Amino acid sequence: MSKLQEVRAMVEEGKTKLIAGKVQEALDEGNKAEDILQSMIDAMGTIGDRFSAGEIFVPEMLIAAKAMSLGVDVLKPHLAGESTSSLGTCVIGTVEGDLHDIGKNLVAMMLEGNGFEIVDMGVDVSPEKFLNAAKENKNVKLVALSGLLTTTMPKMEETVKLIKDSGLPVKVIVGGAPVTEEYAAEIGADGFAPDAGSAAVKAKELING
Amino acid sequence: MLTKKQNLMEVMKGGNPDRFVNQYEFMEIIMEMPMLKGVFLEPGTEGKNAWGVYYKWPEGHIGQMPVHGEHTVIKDITEWKKYVKAPSVKFSDEEWAAAVEHANKVDRNDQFVTAPYFGGMFEMCHNLMGMENALIAFYEEPELMHELIEFITEYELAYAKEVIDHIRPDAIFHHDDWGTQRNSFLSPEMFKEFFVEPYKKVYGFYKDNGVELIVHHCDSYAANLVPYMIEMGIDIWQGCMTTNNIPELIKQYGGQITFMGGIDSGVVDFPGWNQEIVEREVEKACQNGKLYFIPSLTQGLNISSFPGVYEAVSEAIDRMSKKMF
Repeated sequence: MSKLQEVRAMVEEGKTKLIAGKVQEALDEGNKAEDILQSMIDAMGTIGDRFSAGEIFVPEMLIAAKAMSLGVDVLKPHLAGESTSSLGTCVIGTVEGDLHDIGKNLVAMMLEGNGFEIVDMGVDVSPEKFLNAAKENKNVKLVALSGLLTTTMPKMEETVKLIKDSGLPVKVIVGGAPVTEEYAAEIGADGFAPDAGSAAVKAKELING
Repeated sequence: MLTKKQNLMEVMKGGNPDRFVNQYEFMEIIMEMPMLKGVFLEPGTEGKNAWGVYYKWPEGHIGQMPVHGEHTVIKDITEWKKYVKAPSVKFSDEEWAAAVEHANKVDRNDQFVTAPYFGGMFEMCHNLMGMENALIAFYEEPELMHELIEFITEYELAYAKEVIDHIRPDAIFHHDDWGTQRNSFLSPEMFKEFFVEPYKKVYGFYKDNGVELIVHHCDSYAANLVPYMIEMGIDIWQGCMTTNNIPELIKQYGGQITFMGGIDSGVVDFPGWNQEIVEREVEKACQNGKLYFIPSLTQGLNISSFPGVYEAVSEAIDRMSKKMF
């Protein structure tokens, strides 16, 4: 198994105590930082797919994301300027009136693991705050809205409308327990994902699409 | 006509009920128990509960939520003993008086005097630590998580003893949400490793001390955990969402456990609810069958978030009973 494969396997297995050493070994062996980063991004892709398929559960996803984050810390000084693998910035948050953050945090982790820079707005975020964050941050390509309550779905619609009406060149992806593909289309969102794993896949598709 | 209690027993043992058990009708929940003081905030307020967990109920929201960040109780799992202080379960007779009076008024031939418990072992772990920290700790510090759960178990046992001594409950209504609407939070293997034995201890203690019925609330997907629910001693799983494929569960486990739910609160209980939605969802739920199933909102109490929904669901279930029995 090559060092890159080993790094990838360690992220997939969530080896948080060993990953830093393995990334260092891969660097010492002469592997490019960008290639090591890509192997970790690929690992998170696999994690996302396995989560969507119900083969792994939230702790496995979290521990993999933590492993990746620890690996990236070792890589950072070796990456030229900003990460060359960056897919752009994603502004993410839970819509106004809703304090649920677990799903939103998982999606943020998966998007980060797949190469997005994350601006996490937290919970109970007003449409105006989402719009301002999309305007004020650099290279925003995606706005991700989470909502777990049927009562706050109108706020999701209002947020999508505000962003779309602003003319900003960003895609909007939505998700959360009561949200469906049909509802996402009805309110004018560009994409929908039923879970954190498929959110990362869908987000990449929207950006590259 | 069977009493509410008799009718429930017929449903649970696969006998001859004369109607659907209608939502929570068989449980008289004793909410006056002194340890419940401060568990629920008033809308528009925020503050700590007896364990030090900080909750917020913003005005206009439908419930309270734990808040972490600077408020997190366990800042470092390796030092959990430093941070976690269990509240006392000892209260004076005066403080128990309202609960005792309520329990004494219940006709125990018709209903189960029911002691509630909110925030079970899994919820307690993530309420104290924050969800992400708790879930990671199951991997990184399993021994410490076992210790923490043992500590919570001891508290639950002490709570159980007080409840039994004061109101002699016939049933326990115990909350602990174990999943999302799509899956359990933990894999079944991890769930077994951490939670099955502690729950067997607590539910076994209640059963050994005269409690006839263990009702466990978990309004999520948890179909993959049903064998463990049975092993723990759960008689009724309340909050069983439609995502669990209830007919299949009844087929596989009916006789060992009864499923209560089938009417997802999120679908029915919202500001724009109407009679048509209620009738549709209740009718669908009642098609799950007459045995080992109780049609009910998945909400964890005999209330709804929006006025009139709980009552409308109850009336619709009565109509379905007239049609189907």
